Amino acid sequence: MSLKKFVDKNISIIMTVLAFASLLIVWELVSRFTKAGLFLPPASLILEKFILSFKEPIGKYTMLTHIGVSLYRVGVAFGLSTVFGIALGVSMGYSKLAEAILKPIFEFIRPIPPLAWIPMSILWFGLGDKSKFFIIFLGCFCFITVNTYEGTKNVDKTLIGAARMLGASERQVFFDIVLPSSVPYIFAGLQIAVTAGWSAVVGAEMVHSNEGVGWLIVMGMTYGKTVQIMVGMLAIGLVGFVLATGMAKLERRLCAWNNQGM
Amino acid sequence: MEDNRKDKVKVTHLTKKFDDLLVLDDISFTVKEGEFLCIVGPTGCGKTTFLNSLTKLYKPTSGEILINDEPVDLLRHNIAYIFQEYSTMPWLTVEENVGFGLDIKNIPKSEAKEKVNEYLQVVGLEKYRNYYPDQLSASMLQRVVIARAFATEPEVLLMDEPYGQLDIELRFRLEDELLKLWERNKTTVIFITHNIEEAVYLGERILVLTNKPTGIKKEIYNNIQRPRNIAAKDFVDLRNEVTDLIKWW
Repeated sequence: MSLKKFVDKNISIIMTVLAFASLLIVWELVSRFTKAGLFLPPASLILEKFILSFKEPIGKYTMLTHIGVSLYRVGVAFGLSTVFGIALGVSMGYSKLAEAILKPIFEFIRPIPPLAWIPMSILWFGLGDKSKFFIIFLGCFCFITVNTYEGTKNVDKTLIGAARMLGASERQVFFDIVLPSSVPYIFAGLQIAVTAGWSAVVGAEMVHSNEGVGWLIVMGMTYGKTVQIMVGMLAIGLVGFVLATGMAKLERRLCAWNNQGM
Repeated sequence: MEDNRKDKVKVTHLTKKFDDLLVLDDISFTVKEGEFLCIVGPTGCGKTTFLNSLTKLYKPTSGEILINDEPVDLLRHNIAYIFQEYSTMPWLTVEENVGFGLDIKNIPKSEAKEKVNEYLQVVGLEKYRNYYPDQLSASMLQRVVIARAFATEPEVLLMDEPYGQLDIELRFRLEDELLKLWERNKTTVIFITHNIEEAVYLGERILVLTNKPTGIKKEIYNNIQRPRNIAAKDFVDLRNEVTDLIKWW
């Protein structure tokens, strides 16, 4: 394959690599040769510490455990918010009565940021994992609910009419038309929610914890360890990226029909 | 002309009002079993309201619609409806779309599969069975919908300007395909269109509707022999007769 063909075929990957490489080089140069270096550790140092953190513990644990614990917290909260978010979104989208009762309450709670719930979550759930689940749950829940609601609301009426004309019962209309046609919306909500949940983990791990990537940042901030803060940020960025990419792949597989077209 | 077939659909004094607006005004007619009835009328005369009232998608204000002498019930009577808009389910493949009505009616899997294969072949879409609707052209989409409707072997097939969005060549092809299926299955078809040529080409009988409030202006029997030639004198004469009836210019 000629170089031109190779470049044409892989242009988006090449551009991504070039963009990252340029960012790292600029960052490195700025932090080493300007006064900004006082507040911004060089990229190479952060990368080195990040790699080292898989062998040498930060606090009591190595990076793998920190990531694993945070993933567990996000996983549980994300799972719960998926179940409750889809249930609430579908109810509000499909039933006018449920919409009239639940939507105003939901819209009232929605703008309150998850971090604002920290004091109440400690009061209600204590200092253990439950309060962390709760904060991450709130970070994910609204996105899933809103998207599911929109998806259920926007079902093509022609399709519902067609199904009814073929003799579909209410139950069949719901399971065979409303739910499947909402799936792309639900997936869009899940993709935003998984990133939002991973972002909320920092806030959640502010609440009395000894491990987790959020804890790395909180402790780094407490003791003025800039490198540790940035190592924690790098871990969040990388894991968030992997999760979002995984979700997008899963969506392409499960909603193949939505990604076709000649 | 004497028609000995038994009555399949009986519409008596069908009236539909939206608040104070009278849309359908005391319509009565009968459709025979296996008949191909075309309904034509000026654009905006309420043809779709008429069909939607017939299927109870809209509740009639008064009047009665009977199928086999029983009040129409979508769960009991096997009715299929082909809309002007494409109504394929985008998340199902062509094959699954054709089988959708059979699944809804809980037809055993093996029987459903046979029917799906049969109708995919009739509409010439076997090669595309694993495609999704997004990958198909407009005429293919409408053929999927037609196959889906015929696969359930409906007692009554309602069609609301199904070819309204297609170009003339595709329309001719699909009209012939529809006639083949109708002759093969002896389905009772009620076909609504504003295209007079289409009505004369397809129908055994044509109901000409008036402007709003919609009523029946005239009922015309169409005995032109099939296959019909759109350039033949009898065809042109009948087309002109219907055109004169709905002329508003």
